[in-house]
Amino acid sequence: MEIPFVVTPRKDTGLTNSKIAIWLFLASEVMLFGGFFSAYVYLRVGSSDPVGGYPWPERALPILPGLINTFILIASSVTVVFAWAALKLRQWGKFQAFMGFTVLCAFVFLGLKGIEYNVKFHHQALRTVDGAVIEGHLGYEKKEGVDPHAEAKEEDFVLNHHGKKVEENRINVQATGLTFSTVRFHKDWVEEILSEAKQHQSKITLASNLELVLEPGGEKKPVLPAGTELSTEVLAKVADLHLKARANNADVRTEALRNAWKVAHATYPSKRDWEISEKVAIDPKELEGKLLTEASSLTFKVDPPVKLTFAPRDVKAGPAQSRLRDDTVIDGTLLESPMVFHAVDALDFRHLAMKAINKGLDPMAEVEKSWVLANSPQLREIWEWHKGEIAKLEERLKQDYEMKGKAKREPTFTERYRVEWKDFAAKAENKPRTEREGVIKFKEQFMGPNYDARAAAHTFPHLEVPRDQIAFDSKFTPAWNPFYAIYFTITGLHGLHVIGGALVLGYYLFRGKKMYLSNPEWLANRVEVGGLFWHFVDLVWIFLFPLLYLM
Amino acid sequence: MADSPDEIRKKTKTYLAVGAVLFAGTLLTVGVASLEALDIGGHGFDSADCILGLLIASIKASLVAAIFMHLNHEKKAIYWIFFGSFIFVFFLAWLLKLAHDSPLHDQFFYR
Repeated sequence: MEIPFVVTPRKDTGLTNSKIAIWLFLASEVMLFGGFFSAYVYLRVGSSDPVGGYPWPERALPILPGLINTFILIASSVTVVFAWAALKLRQWGKFQAFMGFTVLCAFVFLGLKGIEYNVKFHHQALRTVDGAVIEGHLGYEKKEGVDPHAEAKEEDFVLNHHGKKVEENRINVQATGLTFSTVRFHKDWVEEILSEAKQHQSKITLASNLELVLEPGGEKKPVLPAGTELSTEVLAKVADLHLKARANNADVRTEALRNAWKVAHATYPSKRDWEISEKVAIDPKELEGKLLTEASSLTFKVDPPVKLTFAPRDVKAGPAQSRLRDDTVIDGTLLESPMVFHAVDALDFRHLAMKAINKGLDPMAEVEKSWVLANSPQLREIWEWHKGEIAKLEERLKQDYEMKGKAKREPTFTERYRVEWKDFAAKAENKPRTEREGVIKFKEQFMGPNYDARAAAHTFPHLEVPRDQIAFDSKFTPAWNPFYAIYFTITGLHGLHVIGGALVLGYYLFRGKKMYLSNPEWLANRVEVGGLFWHFVDLVWIFLFPLLYLM
Repeated sequence: MADSPDEIRKKTKTYLAVGAVLFAGTLLTVGVASLEALDIGGHGFDSADCILGLLIASIKASLVAAIFMHLNHEKKAIYWIFFGSFIFVFFLAWLLKLAHDSPLHDQFFYR
């Protein structure tokens, strides 16, 4: 039986089923993206709040990748409508060509988006305690004895137990003892600890004999002798025994509690449960000889003491004891654990200046007092250069107003307090700030600055930031600020729609021949409906591009 | 109304023209945001340039909707379904504004 109204429109609405359905779906998509666009507006408006505000990263994204993606989506919109037209004109070959190009555009769009995301995920930012923001790329840990300032070879870098380089953003602890939770220990971290200990010829061994009652009514039996070397197998074995003991003890206690309630009900037959609950208690004699030993943790000693390193997000560090997120306790002294930038590529004092203005202080004076300018002569030099360039800009704008009749304009808050990587590059090449767009190579528009090529000119300084100066740090991810949160949310959701659309259009391209031969008008209607979804995806991007990249 | 093959043949030039306008509109939007020569009022990038940029984007979106999505000759039911959703989006944004302006917002925000 043929499904009605898939080719012939309904007489009352003049529409096919798929047409009504897709427009209903697009109406729901308008609501979905409308919600996110509204959220963007309010986040942006809220950032200018005098008390709780912070500097919105306006025009922070490189324009070229977004512009190319816009062209790609517009071109794909044109070709998808041509694909539909080719089907209506019964030109299968042309349909394949146009639809193929459309699907290809989708994948190029996603590829460019992936590159954009990847560059951001590798870009580090931190906010110091005084409110200054430092952006750049972190270095990688080098082996002991290697000159940190000399050009490093691949063999100079420390590798983790996965064989990957380790970023210079670690919490360092001189460990003398480790206590693992037998149930919660994270296998990967245990292997990393073992790997670091082995590199320093240190042994991690059980601190004392482990003796457990393994059977009800039994005696304590030796399970592991002191000096047993740490391994994930040892921890897993004890975890197994612990879980069995815990299950047994829970059953025993439950049974004892049931009996206690029976006794209570018998003693106070007329009372309600809540009236006698305080009188109910487990009789300790009922538990005698029935409980097994639970071993929820195991303590090891580290001999000789060894420097262990952890990612800051994985550890809560203290001066004499630290705790990992899997409840592993590390006994030992906290060592210096700076975050080391191999290349600082932006300095942003806007937040510091905003806080100063709120307190009624001179923002420029507060900037001059910041930790970063006091501790980095190279960044101090760049800042002085930047101040000179802004003074020249002020002069030029004043002349434009007084002598050329142009509108009066001051340097913006962002121009005054933010030094970008293009400024760093212009200074290194002895060019004025007005020519900073010209110092960027085409590839750098997508991948960010080429640190290696610019290293000879000392364009981007090295900087070690002590851990106690860091108020907050993050890569350029949703965690960094609400702009990046909404940017990744809304472009990620849009990207998922691109994937969905590409899958549907690809299905018609590769599997549509059979339907074309049996019912071409039905296929044309389906392609039209798929095309409508694709145009909507393009519509959303038409607004997203200027909103996120240009404003 | 079903598009007949003859009507579709006539429209191919329109589709190409709209595509060219969309490309040009995109370049114009970037120009308004980046070039001093296209800066409205000469005050640097400000709200006037934002509004112009969004206006250009709206015109581009209207062309996509009207020509590529065939909204210029669709049935009434479609207009009700699609444009009706914008009314709900308006209310959604209004709810956000109410939350932003609410005295409770100040109480929790300005601690």
